[in-house]
Amino acid sequence: MKFRIMQIIIGLWCLVSSVSAQNSDAPKQLSRTYLLTNCFVVKQPGTILPKQNVLIKDGFIMDVAPSIKAPFDAQIIKADSMYVYAGFIDGHSNTGIAKPENKERGDRGNAEQINIPTLEQSGVYTHRNSLETFKSSDKSVSEMRSIGVTVSQVAPRDGMLPGQSAIFLLGEGANDKLLLRNNSVQNATLDPARGTFPSTSIGVIAKFREVYKNANIAGSHEEKYKANAIGLSRPDFSKELIAFYPFTAKKQAINVMATQTKDVHKFLSLQDELGFNMNIANVKQGWHYIDKIKAKNIGVFLSLELPEEEKEKKDSTIVKKDTLSVTKDTSKMETGGKVQAEPKKLATIEEKDNVDFDTKRIAAYNDYVNQAAKFEKAGIPFAFSFHTVKPGDVKKNLQRMIKSGLSENAALAALTTNPAKLLGISSQVGTVEKGKIANIVITSKPYFDEKSIIKYVFVDGKKYDYNTSNISKSGDNKRDEKSSLVNGVWSFSVSIAGEIQTGTLTITGSSDKLSVVTKTDKGNNEDTGFDIKLEGKNLLFAITVEMEEPTKVLFDLNFDKDSYSGKIDLGSMGIFPISGSKVSDPKTSLE
Amino acid sequence: MRHLILFILIQTCTTFGYSQNVLIKNGTVITVTKGTLATTDVLVTNGKIARVDKNISAPLNTKVIDATGLYVMPGIIDAHSHIALDVVNEATSPVTAEVNVGDGLDPLDINIYRALAGGVTTSHAMHGSANAIGGQCETIKHRYGTTNPDELRMEGAPRTIKFALGENPIRVHGEGRKITPGSRMGVEQVFRDAFAEAKVYMKDWDDYKSGIRKSSPMYNLRMETIADILRGNILIHCHSYRADEILMLMQVCKDYDIKKICFQHVNEGFKVAPELAAFGASASVFADWWAYKFEVYYSTAYNATILTRNGVVTSINSDSEELIRHLYHEAAKTQRYGDLSDDEALSLITINPAKQLGIDNRVGSIEVGKDADIAIFKNHPLSIYTVPQMTFVDGVMRFDIKADAPDMRVDIDPSEKFASFYETDKILEGDRCMHGLTELLLGESYSKYLRFKYLKNHSH
Repeated sequence: MKFRIMQIIIGLWCLVSSVSAQNSDAPKQLSRTYLLTNCFVVKQPGTILPKQNVLIKDGFIMDVAPSIKAPFDAQIIKADSMYVYAGFIDGHSNTGIAKPENKERGDRGNAEQINIPTLEQSGVYTHRNSLETFKSSDKSVSEMRSIGVTVSQVAPRDGMLPGQSAIFLLGEGANDKLLLRNNSVQNATLDPARGTFPSTSIGVIAKFREVYKNANIAGSHEEKYKANAIGLSRPDFSKELIAFYPFTAKKQAINVMATQTKDVHKFLSLQDELGFNMNIANVKQGWHYIDKIKAKNIGVFLSLELPEEEKEKKDSTIVKKDTLSVTKDTSKMETGGKVQAEPKKLATIEEKDNVDFDTKRIAAYNDYVNQAAKFEKAGIPFAFSFHTVKPGDVKKNLQRMIKSGLSENAALAALTTNPAKLLGISSQVGTVEKGKIANIVITSKPYFDEKSIIKYVFVDGKKYDYNTSNISKSGDNKRDEKSSLVNGVWSFSVSIAGEIQTGTLTITGSSDKLSVVTKTDKGNNEDTGFDIKLEGKNLLFAITVEMEEPTKVLFDLNFDKDSYSGKIDLGSMGIFPISGSKVSDPKTSLE
Repeated sequence: MRHLILFILIQTCTTFGYSQNVLIKNGTVITVTKGTLATTDVLVTNGKIARVDKNISAPLNTKVIDATGLYVMPGIIDAHSHIALDVVNEATSPVTAEVNVGDGLDPLDINIYRALAGGVTTSHAMHGSANAIGGQCETIKHRYGTTNPDELRMEGAPRTIKFALGENPIRVHGEGRKITPGSRMGVEQVFRDAFAEAKVYMKDWDDYKSGIRKSSPMYNLRMETIADILRGNILIHCHSYRADEILMLMQVCKDYDIKKICFQHVNEGFKVAPELAAFGASASVFADWWAYKFEVYYSTAYNATILTRNGVVTSINSDSEELIRHLYHEAAKTQRYGDLSDDEALSLITINPAKQLGIDNRVGSIEVGKDADIAIFKNHPLSIYTVPQMTFVDGVMRFDIKADAPDMRVDIDPSEKFASFYETDKILEGDRCMHGLTELLLGESYSKYLRFKYLKNHSH
């Protein structure tokens, strides 16, 4: 497939965002003793204790009680009417693991062809683990922390058997200091190898069967050889097979990437056949198999990613118009207009199809958003996978799930106690209790309240301050003069290699905490700007474009009252002019 | 809105409901194996054909369908298709016997429904022809409406595997990957090497099991599968065109005592029909399609007739999600080219493909005790004016020309913007033998693509 430059820009803008571009994320530690006073403690889902003090010391929750005397070295945090939760736990993601360089991606015909692949060339990396590749300095770690996630079970990237996960505290520093558990699970995907066997999902399944059986042969032979070597050939097995043996011997589980319904089915079938311990992860469409999942006691990490939100019903007519304008000639477009006026007369088969289609599409949308509620109703204690969700969408999506019938307690359990159990770390984290690791999230109101914001996050007793009182989401932005010039929704138009790309820029916040969101008209791709700098009328920011590797795109814009002009820098591809005008002022843009 | 959704749900449940008892009244019943019966009833209970007789009175809780003036025939069987599959070709090695397309069945594929709308109830979902020994195939029943891939499988159907001769494996591996086979001789050698290696593999395991060998051999799923071919547990379905290579593969099979083989396409089959009959091989052909690449330059629309007259069990297949919708027309062409009788012509798309797939005890004719896979047509199915009306699989109505909704997809991506599901990339690319390999196989794929495009433009 050939990528035109324009497609790169419109199609693949990297979906990275942060709650705020410039949180003071790196605290200076004077003392590691803190006392939170007069707060609501949500000890665990369903148990809220009012007017509590929480003492944090040496990385532990030392005490939770209505009155605790502050030790001499304690920093006192007045948390009146704030809510204290156990730090959230991400059951499955690649947090802190950089994306591999995809040397072979691009022209498929040129991919190096390997005729007899080694296990590694087939994508079997069972011997690897995340402890080697996790970096707490990776941007994804601070992003996860800023939304309250304090522990991640981190899977390695790449291949059909990417390797073993490690469970990390999402703090800062060396990996061994942050490690809760190494080699917690194996991982599996249906991702094919490049240029060699297996190049398809069915090839991956065949390879899985073979590796599984051979790991058993290798492992048991090695055991036999250790017990009595006489007459036996010397074990000469690959590191991949030996590393897989704890899993095939059922001493270790596997997290499988089972996103859509057919992926879930493929792994459930493999599990039926081979009988290993399995959790399904990143599940977006798992409701067809709820009964089976429950009967087989399979661990579940539901994806926090949901389909794009349905705009209210009003746009069904818009959909109709679009459809006609795309598929039919202009005379039909007029028919589309008529339908809007007299919705009961469905003149053509196409129009009837569109109405049927709309009904089915909305039903499908509801299925995705209802998934968590269905799992709750079935009594399956699921957790979440943060694998592909944009951190900025997490709370919004949780609220959508709750609106669709998920209880708040189940949602909180899926963020705290359930993953703690599934990851086998319940004695260390998951509740706000004396003796547990001080992983804590403190919010201004109950977390699931639309207006709540995260004030502080503690990881391993270390405080991260997100106390951003000067930006509130309720709309009463204190905008200084400088930022008021750029605040608002702006159109943009950029000409790249002769093709015009349009969209909007939404700029909010005060000059020292500006946030920029870009959105393309075609494809509706949203991206959040970073490295934002406003000097006078000049605004600089960057977004990341996912091409063959993530590439930074720099925006340099000069604003006038109702319009702006400037340039975007696409690195090696060149610099292109961009311009636009104001679409609406900030207040209307907030809704 | 809620009511509408509920209504649709109820409707869906009745359409895709569990097997109920059905009485098809007063149709012209074409049994294929036992003659054609005027004004006859077919009673279906528990998914099986329970009675074929005149004036059957409907038992309690039986849905009665009036087939007066209509033709009732066994569900059509396609011995070569690639619908309902996630993946067609694992083209990374000349031998990929360990791969099984059954691991990637796609019950959401709308082409299953479209096949039902052509009266087709069973198809042989095959691996592609990129490799000399390709992957294992899956015989599926068109139980459209389910989201569970397992429900498509025809339980108890014998295992089958795809082989391929000639230009496709040569182009993919010889020209594409610079390895054997680079010629037709090489293709033969790939088979012989694979069978020889599998014999050694079988011996290693036999020695281990009998204690002669102390350490376990490594497990090799590829060799396990080829060993199963040698044991006679897997039927070979081989993509083939030229007479010389057809004779070659029969010789290889003789050398390794393999008896069950069906040649697919087999456009020069008419040249070696007596030899095929003597070996006991069967043939699955196109009605009148050839000259889409060099090795298939020489063929004839009389192919099916000549094979049939020589005693070769012959079928007509689609290899296409478009052709599968009118296999009855394809069968009818043998009456223009060869003057086959009605039953002979219909056998090509019913009982004969059933024999080739080893499922003729279950499907392929209207007989008491067989699966209630039934297609009802307006006008005789071999008439150019025929139109399929209803299709039953295991007694469940899966297609009804009058009652079905315009959009019969099972799964919709909520982010999909348009209702126009007719034009998708998937359809344009085609689920053919060489699916996913257009860059390597411009020759065949492009001509097939053009043909498809032509058909598509002329069918709307």
